[in-house]
Order: sequence, then C-alpha cells, then structure tokens
Amino acid sequence: MMCRVLSERVNKKGRGAGMYGRKGYQLIKDFASGEKGHLKPFNSKLFDEAIEECDQNHHLIQSLIRKMQQEGLDVHDNRNADHYGALVHHLSLIRNKRCLMAYVHNRADIVRDLAWTIGLEIIELPPDIQEKLTALEKDYFKNHSVAITSYMGKVGIELNVDMVPPKDPYIKIRVVGDIEQGIVMSDKTTNFTRHSMHFLRRTDAEPYIARGQMEELTG
Amino acid sequence: MASNSEMGSADFESLLSTSDVELLKRAWRNEKAAPEILPYQGDLVERAKGQIELVEGNIEDYVEDGIDPLVVSLYQMDLDRTQFLLRSYLRVRLLKIEKFMFHILKSEEAESRLSEQEKAFARRCAADLTKHFEESVLLKLPENYQTVQKQSLISDEDDMVPEPNLDTFVVCRSKNSLKLNLYEEGETPVILDLDRGEPSFVRYRAVKRAFESGEVELI
Repeated sequence: MMCRVLSERVNKKGRGAGMYGRKGYQLIKDFASGEKGHLKPFNSKLFDEAIEECDQNHHLIQSLIRKMQQEGLDVHDNRNADHYGALVHHLSLIRNKRCLMAYVHNRADIVRDLAWTIGLEIIELPPDIQEKLTALEKDYFKNHSVAITSYMGKVGIELNVDMVPPKDPYIKIRVVGDIEQGIVMSDKTTNFTRHSMHFLRRTDAEPYIARGQMEELTG
Repeated sequence: MASNSEMGSADFESLLSTSDVELLKRAWRNEKAAPEILPYQGDLVERAKGQIELVEGNIEDYVEDGIDPLVVSLYQMDLDRTQFLLRSYLRVRLLKIEKFMFHILKSEEAESRLSEQEKAFARRCAADLTKHFEESVLLKLPENYQTVQKQSLISDEDDMVPEPNLDTFVVCRSKNSLKLNLYEEGETPVILDLDRGEPSFVRYRAVKRAFESGEVELI
C-alpha cells in the first residue's frame, strides 16, 4: 500500500517530464502482470506513447548532432555535453525499442501457442480470446497457421493432435458446450447433446476438449 | 521366428534397446531435454512412419477378421503410443525452431540439423514474424532503428536475436563410466566422474561433446 501511494506521488510529479524509457518499462509490466500464457487486451495507449517517445528521442538526437555540426565539431570524436546528451537519447530509444519488441514478441509467442493448442482457424478460437487480438496479430495467427499446415502436409502427419501422452485409447467425456449435430466420429454418428456423456476414442475427443466443448471425466 | 527362442536374455535386451520405438523414444527424450536443436533423425522418422502404417493396416485386418476386440485395443494402444512419440518428437522440434528461428537461420551449423521441411518452416516462420514486427513496431521507429536483428544500425553484432542457453542444466546418464571435464578457460579444472547408468545433473555445455558422440543421453 505504502509503495502504491509513493509511486502515485512520483507519477504525478513525473508526469509531463517523465523519465526516458519509462513508457517501455510500463508496457512490459503491463504484459507481465497478466496471467502466464494468457493475453490481455493490447495496450495501444502505452504502446503508442512509447513509440512517440522514440520519435522525440530521435528528434533530440538529430538536433544535438546538427548543433555539433554547426559548431564545426566532429560528431564521432568529440566528447562534449551534446555528445553525451545524444547518447542518452539513443540509449532511451534502444531501451524503448527492446521493450516494444519484447511486448510484441511475447504476445506473438502466445498467439502461436493458440494455433498449436486450440485450433488453426481463427474462428476456432473462443470469442473472448479473439477480442484481445489486434488485426495484425490475427494476420500473424493466420500466417503461422498456414506455415504449420504446410509443414504437416509435407510430412503427412497431423501434429496438432495427441498433445498429451496417451494412457487409454478411449476416454470418458461430458459435453459441456454446443456441438452441432450429426458429427461422425471414426466409426459412428453420435448426438452430442449438452451434458450427455460418451465413451470416445481419445484422438476423436481431443479437438473438442481443446476448444472447451467437452471435458474429460477422470477417476 | 525360430531363432527367437535361441536368443539369450542379454541379446534380447540389446535387441529391444535398438528397436525403432526405443530409438525414437531416446531421440524424443534428448530433443526435449536439450536446449538447442539436435540433428534431425530422418531415417528413424521414416522407419517409424512405415511401421505405423503397417500396424494401422494390421489392425484394420484384425477388426475385419473378427479378432477379440480386447486384443485389437492392445495393438491400438501400442500404436497410439508410437504415434504420440513421433508427433511429439516432430512437434518439440518445431517449437524449438519457432523459439530460435532467427538464430537457427543465421547459423549454418544449426540450420544443417534441420530436415528440408523444417528449413522451409523456419524460413516461413522468420518471414512471418519479421513482417509482424515490422508492421507492429519497426516501421513506426526512426530509420536507423528498423531492423529485427540489431538494436540500431550502429550495433556491430546482431544483438536482438534470442539464442538457446547452453549453460542450462540437464539431467544426463552415461552409458559407460566417463570422466567429464567441467573445466572451461579461466576456471579451475574440475573433473566429474560419471558412473555407468547413474543420473547426473550438469551444465549442458559441459556434457555437450560427450552427448553428441552418443556416450551420454539426456533424460
């Protein structure tokens, strides 16, 4: 609590001026505060602010370099205040870049994981996950799914099934979501009414379990 | 068939440990435990695929011939396990490629360990992720800061490429007793005795050479 009060005060004071590189750091903190492996909505406010800070840094670097050039100083060899000023802006820019990239990178890791564990089509993802993806992330998801599909096609093995080591070829499941009627499972057509229980081949049931439409009954 | 009964138990053990399923299991375990991508076991994968098809055919025949369903389900279970091993082996590799794509494509040595299909997958992954980075972050940054591999154009090396951590600890087991040199330049020499079959917990880098020559396996 104490910490929170303190940091709020610092924030208020620091607003406007701010410390260089802080935006990127906040962005990473925003990502890290989420549950592991789960996406939060893309924080475009902080993201854009960090990008903007990069722009500011860049302008300041350029104006410092111009100043040194006007004074007839060699930009590379001279170690005056303006040189170090430009260096600070450069370091701030790099720091923000790393944070921005890490933010997008870590989210991309989760996006790929979704393709592996839930489904290769965007419509297979639950609506609440879809909402959290940006348009670019959806494109990335689609592209990556194509990469996986193309690999599987070439080796002739489906890889997005069988995610856990098999114990029994058959498992008992309960239907917990809506599943359209008349789906053919390996050998027979079954009516998967909600709450009904079935004894299915594990490989048949797995995709439905991944999408949360069935649950495995254990014990 | 007749020679089976003449075989001693030691022969049988060694035969068992060199069966393709055992080899596949070892390859899978090694791949899972090693921080970096290992050479692709192409011949083994092809043989395993062939065997899986064969057993699938056999099982269909058994069902048609009306053989006891319990017996059939035992064959099915065995088949499921082998299929899981094969899928998981290929999948673990793809996940590693996803994680270290830029590093793998940069290092000729690492790239040479991939199958042709994996190489295509890695290139595609890298192209997709690069595009995603560019559209999300890089094109919004100042000109000198727009590459994926480097923090800025003045970086001498590629300082933004995630690499596998070879200093991570692995559990390994030696086939014969072995003296392992944990010595690295600038360190006090340390020799570790690995007893035959005893599991040890060591840095991957220290055991890498013995592992690559097949004297040690990871568990």
